[in-house]
Amino acid sequence: MKYTSQRVAYWFFATCMLLFSLQIVYGFIMGFAHMGMDGLHDLIPFNAARATHTNLLVVWLLTGFMGASYFIIPDESGRELYSTRLAYIQLISLVLVGVTAIAGFHMNWWEGRKFLEIPRPLDYVVVANVLLFLFNIGMTVLRSNKYTATGIVLYVGLVSAALLYLPGMIYFSNQTVDSYFRWWVVHLWVEGVWELIMGSILAYLLIKLTGVDREVVEKWLYVIVGLTFLSGILGTGHHYYFIGTPSYWLWIGGIFSALEPLAFLGMALFAIAMYRRSGRNHPNKVALYWTMGCAIMSFVGAGFLGFAHTLPQVNIYTHGTLVTAMHGHLAFWGAYAMIVLAVISYTMPLMTGRKLWNTMPALLAFWLSNIGMLGMTAAFAVAGITQVYLERRLGMDFLAVQKEVEVHFLGLVLAAALFTAGIVLYIYTFIKFGKPTAELQENIDTEDYPVRESHAALGGA
Amino acid sequence: MMSRSQARMFFVGGTILFSLVFLFLTVDTLIKVPDLTHARNITPAVDRGKQIWESNNCMGCHTILGEGAYYAPELTKVVERRSEQWLKVFLKDPQAMFPGERKMVQYHFTDGQISDLIAFLKWIGETNLNGFPAKPVLKMTATSAPASAAPASHSTVTAPAMFSQLCTACHAVGGNGGNIGPALDGIGTRRDTTWIDKWLIDPQAVKPGTAMPTLPMSNDERAELVKYLGELK
Repeated sequence: MKYTSQRVAYWFFATCMLLFSLQIVYGFIMGFAHMGMDGLHDLIPFNAARATHTNLLVVWLLTGFMGASYFIIPDESGRELYSTRLAYIQLISLVLVGVTAIAGFHMNWWEGRKFLEIPRPLDYVVVANVLLFLFNIGMTVLRSNKYTATGIVLYVGLVSAALLYLPGMIYFSNQTVDSYFRWWVVHLWVEGVWELIMGSILAYLLIKLTGVDREVVEKWLYVIVGLTFLSGILGTGHHYYFIGTPSYWLWIGGIFSALEPLAFLGMALFAIAMYRRSGRNHPNKVALYWTMGCAIMSFVGAGFLGFAHTLPQVNIYTHGTLVTAMHGHLAFWGAYAMIVLAVISYTMPLMTGRKLWNTMPALLAFWLSNIGMLGMTAAFAVAGITQVYLERRLGMDFLAVQKEVEVHFLGLVLAAALFTAGIVLYIYTFIKFGKPTAELQENIDTEDYPVRESHAALGGA
Repeated sequence: MMSRSQARMFFVGGTILFSLVFLFLTVDTLIKVPDLTHARNITPAVDRGKQIWESNNCMGCHTILGEGAYYAPELTKVVERRSEQWLKVFLKDPQAMFPGERKMVQYHFTDGQISDLIAFLKWIGETNLNGFPAKPVLKMTATSAPASAAPASHSTVTAPAMFSQLCTACHAVGGNGGNIGPALDGIGTRRDTTWIDKWLIDPQAVKPGTAMPTLPMSNDERAELVKYLGELK
């Protein structure tokens, strides 16, 4: 850690851990409800549990991106953060909005559109909050004399994410138009600008962890985010197949979303190539695991499983079934949850000054959560495919089909228990690190710091 | 291999080009959507229905246009699949229609709200969705009723409106209708009218734990139904 203001990231990450835990609790509520155990129905009906589950995800990921930015931007810009006070105000207000929204869900207060459930009045507070964040980061970048590609791509990603939130706030009385612009937020976030954020964090971590020349990593970063937009913008078309939009979206969406895995494949290959060229034997292996894991799992979850049901011929049967939940879980885990967990694993030793890398709980956390999530994905896949055949192909009644797939939700809950064990260990490790220190320490991984030859000295220290 | 500035050009150029194409297609789509969705049929009732739909986060369990959650049925074509009458009864007390099954929240909708919701669902069911939802290609026919034998046996009996709007959501006669409850061909032979009458008044009293709901109907409506069912021989 080069600058004391980078410490604010810790509080953002701590908030992530809290919200993530709560997200998992609501996931279990839904898993059990799908098995017929809906004892909480009167207190927390399914729609409240689901909105809480997905919104907590979005909020903790955004909090993670913000924390990562507060750590990375000063480092990339070579100066202290513009204002740490603004950062704290921004975090507290973000948490307040989140808590209000979730309490609202439990009292049937909604905007009520998938992923945009947060009531409209609160949208304005979210916008104000994000503007505050962008101002703080923007001033830091502007006042520095250093512009790196990693920093710029991250900032462009964050600004675009904020801009794209706006079309989602408008009311349309035509459901088709409503849905059309809702996807501008949802799709262009997760399959567009969020990939910029993810790509730049990934690039930052690879520069630090592998010691590969910045010039090389950043060239790749441009190619990958270029591929993301090349496929992802018109790839929005895969949401416009069956919602009352013209039929040309079937082939435009089909072709461009078939290209979407390329960006993720590029990201995975890029990470592996950088790892192999690695000139540095960085001691924080766990952070490297999460980084490489993120690159690979995002390809599997977002790229491959997305492709599996994106062609219109397939999608006409899988659209609106549990197959989507299968893709959604691994995609969000691989691409976004893992990048946040990677950046937390990387920064904690730097912020707290405690060299607790590669402990057994930290390694187990990585493996258990990933195996658990793959198991959950498999359970959703079997349930989803069964649903497609029985309901969409055989014409069985919805509820009768749900009875048939109940058993797969038992599988889901068991895999989720494994996943949860991993996350509990991750949080345990997080707590073990303790609070960040004000003391600046020697940077063990600045770009000019030792490559492999001198690692022996470092390891022995 | 390309240099870093070429890579940047690829990113900036590609993004600008595809954003422009996307904006162009958006304009074209917005011009065509009113026709495809029969936007002239969006009455104030439809709009009120949409607001009820959103203010209760119906998408948190159901899908519409295939979008939403997967806990409850897809509702784009629900008016065609059930009927307006069925939806009216169902929305009054959702749990009564499926006793002991997955629960829907009782929202205590007023009659006005129910008809607004149905107006919204009816409008959306008529939009052009490029073939969604696909027809079940391997559809099973109602099992216990041989379709060939049925029409001859009751061709003279006309079903009351109540029957074709409500009962056929679950029961089939002559191979037409739902397959959740048993087919009712020949029910008049199997049961007498006194039993059918008791059954319709309170299914749980006759057979505890049955999935058959207590359906709201006037004495006249019930008498008409009992008469009809008794004649299904």
